[in-house]
Amino acid sequence: MIKAGRSAAVLAALAAAALSLTACGGDDGGSGGKELKLWHYEAPDSAMGKAWDEAIKEFEATHPGVKVTFEEKGFEQIQKTAPMVLNSKDAPDVMEYNKGNATAGMLSRQGLLTDLTPEVTKRGWDKLISPNVQVTAKYDAKGTMGGDTWYGVPDYAEYLQVYYNKDLFEKNDVKIPTTFAELTAAMDAFVAKGVTPLTNAGAEYMAHQFVYQLALDKADRAWVDAFQRYTGKTNFNDAAWTYGATTFADWVKKGYIAKKSVSLKAEDAGVAFMSGKFPMMFSGSWWFGRVAAEAKFDWETAVWPGAKMTLGSGGNLWVVPKGSENKQLAYDFIDITMKKQAQATLGNAGGVPVAADPSAITDAKAKKLIADFDGLTRSDGLAYYPDWPVAGFYDAWVAQTQKLMNGTAPGEVLGGIQKTYDGGLPK
Amino acid sequence: MTTPGRGRSREQWGYLPYLLPGLLLFTAVIGVPFLMNIGTSFTEWTGVGAPEWIGLGNYRELVRDGEFWASFRHNVLIIFGMAIVPTMIGLVLAAALTDLVDRHFGPRTASVLRACVYLPQVLPVVIAGVVWSWLLAPENGAVNALLDAVGLGSLAHDWLGDPATALWSVVGVMVWMQIGFPLVIFMSGLQRVDPSLYEAAEIDGASWGRRFRHVTVPQIRPEIFVVLLWTTIAALKAFPQIFVLTKGGPGGATNVPSYYSWVNFFEKSDVGYGSAIATVLTLVILALTVVFLRLQARDLEEGR
Repeated sequence: MIKAGRSAAVLAALAAAALSLTACGGDDGGSGGKELKLWHYEAPDSAMGKAWDEAIKEFEATHPGVKVTFEEKGFEQIQKTAPMVLNSKDAPDVMEYNKGNATAGMLSRQGLLTDLTPEVTKRGWDKLISPNVQVTAKYDAKGTMGGDTWYGVPDYAEYLQVYYNKDLFEKNDVKIPTTFAELTAAMDAFVAKGVTPLTNAGAEYMAHQFVYQLALDKADRAWVDAFQRYTGKTNFNDAAWTYGATTFADWVKKGYIAKKSVSLKAEDAGVAFMSGKFPMMFSGSWWFGRVAAEAKFDWETAVWPGAKMTLGSGGNLWVVPKGSENKQLAYDFIDITMKKQAQATLGNAGGVPVAADPSAITDAKAKKLIADFDGLTRSDGLAYYPDWPVAGFYDAWVAQTQKLMNGTAPGEVLGGIQKTYDGGLPK
Repeated sequence: MTTPGRGRSREQWGYLPYLLPGLLLFTAVIGVPFLMNIGTSFTEWTGVGAPEWIGLGNYRELVRDGEFWASFRHNVLIIFGMAIVPTMIGLVLAAALTDLVDRHFGPRTASVLRACVYLPQVLPVVIAGVVWSWLLAPENGAVNALLDAVGLGSLAHDWLGDPATALWSVVGVMVWMQIGFPLVIFMSGLQRVDPSLYEAAEIDGASWGRRFRHVTVPQIRPEIFVVLLWTTIAALKAFPQIFVLTKGGPGGATNVPSYYSWVNFFEKSDVGYGSAIATVLTLVILALTVVFLRLQARDLEEGR
């Protein structure tokens, strides 16, 4: 008995110690706004990483006595664990988070994010961000993007474009295309010379983004809204989706896209393009800085030939967790990242700033990148990404597109997509 | 009469303090989470907020889920690749190293060879997986380059991207990773086999094959049981290899229950369904373990 009593006492003491430790942890976070806990997942040498590094310095200079505790996280790490972390006491004051219904939308619906609307209007961020880019920052009560409550602030934007290896075009005597017909003609010319025109990755996003872009070539804004924001019924056997899937399968057959790329990852495809093996890469502006740093050939970028709409959106968001204890500091930090200086740093480092002064962007290729994006926002041309509408859709797209590349009929593949989409729609 | 009885019980209870930490740790790290997992499997839950009780709903869905059954079928092949084949190769290699190499070339050569075969076991699975994904890469991969070099270029293709070869390629990698474990266990098992048994068999004119069948295998049966149990469980839990090499692709051709469960947990935020898969998988592993242990116990009884 005495022994049991002693062990119980030890256990109780341990428990008490643990409790007091957690209590201390809680106190530390809120001690008079002396610390800003910040998480983001951009690599230090990326455009965003550079801009935010500068913003942290600026914040420290303008907030003497406040310490910025920055933790660099992985994209996957935040994507997979955010709901659990935000629901705990360890949530940061401000963090970068993925945009879209299945991510920021889901967290907002669950009440884990702070409603930023009053701050956004007070500080005028809504004036700086174009309506097209605002869509992914605002959610409705069901967590669907395009609502009227701000739950995040995007500093940058992103979109898909074609990267052209001008040296390969010149060497093979092919003209860089400006229309869809010219694009297919150019691809025929390359295939005839034994060159695979487009780099591709079947095991990750690249392959299904082709399917979506091809479908978008036959679609309009109402179609996109029905698919992405559930404003209408989406039928994957309609003309646009069928054209997208059939054309993509056809491109694989014709050799525009290597059949051997089924198991490749985006990194493989990007590296293959940057090493000069492929004349074209159709992928995101997130590659821009890397291509600029690594490509040893002359290159340029342009929006998908003939596209009225293309894949793109506001970038990832600054969100303020509900449990943040230093919300004012978080807003001050976001404000700094929206200022001209941080935006210009972002733009000159190869990012697409949402509120930059065009005259502050000095690099010619970066100017074109931003000008192309401005053209898309002016014409309401951002169609988001195909994997956004429902949770788990990314995996479904990858799996079904791999089947499409391996010869499964487009109708069957689209049927599989339909099943996942319908099963994942918000109830 | 009472004294010895009391003495024995005191002796038995005397072990308790030593078992307690392990028991507590087991309860905290395995027992409680497992019970919580079972509880979650009866709910619909995104991982945040209040779970909604749906009774057997997830299990009813599992029964109808073709992807789930396909993932179990793939797992049968993976058991073949991670348990059966490595055990067989390990047996032959262990016997050859002990009975032939050790005797003719000395123990040093045998242990160098053993270390070479064991090496993949030391490598972190993820690193081995990444390296193999390079080797099997469709462009510039060493496997295709090798085929090209020996004039079999027509066989070169996208090993992990073709549904006809993806699962077999993964199984091949697993065999390579796994062989070292049975080899080491079997070789240490063979250490305790009396050399006079081999000598007697040799004097009687038994060939290497007969010595293998009638001396080596029967002598290390307990090790064979342990290895088969261990590797079968490892095969059922196979996750990092799939995650690194194929992510279940192409088109679900290499999906396995552990990966499928993870996809539901983290990609689809369908925690209830993911828990149901994990529960079924755990029960299958438990059942298999019980069957193996029973068989082993019976085998030992018979052997006595």
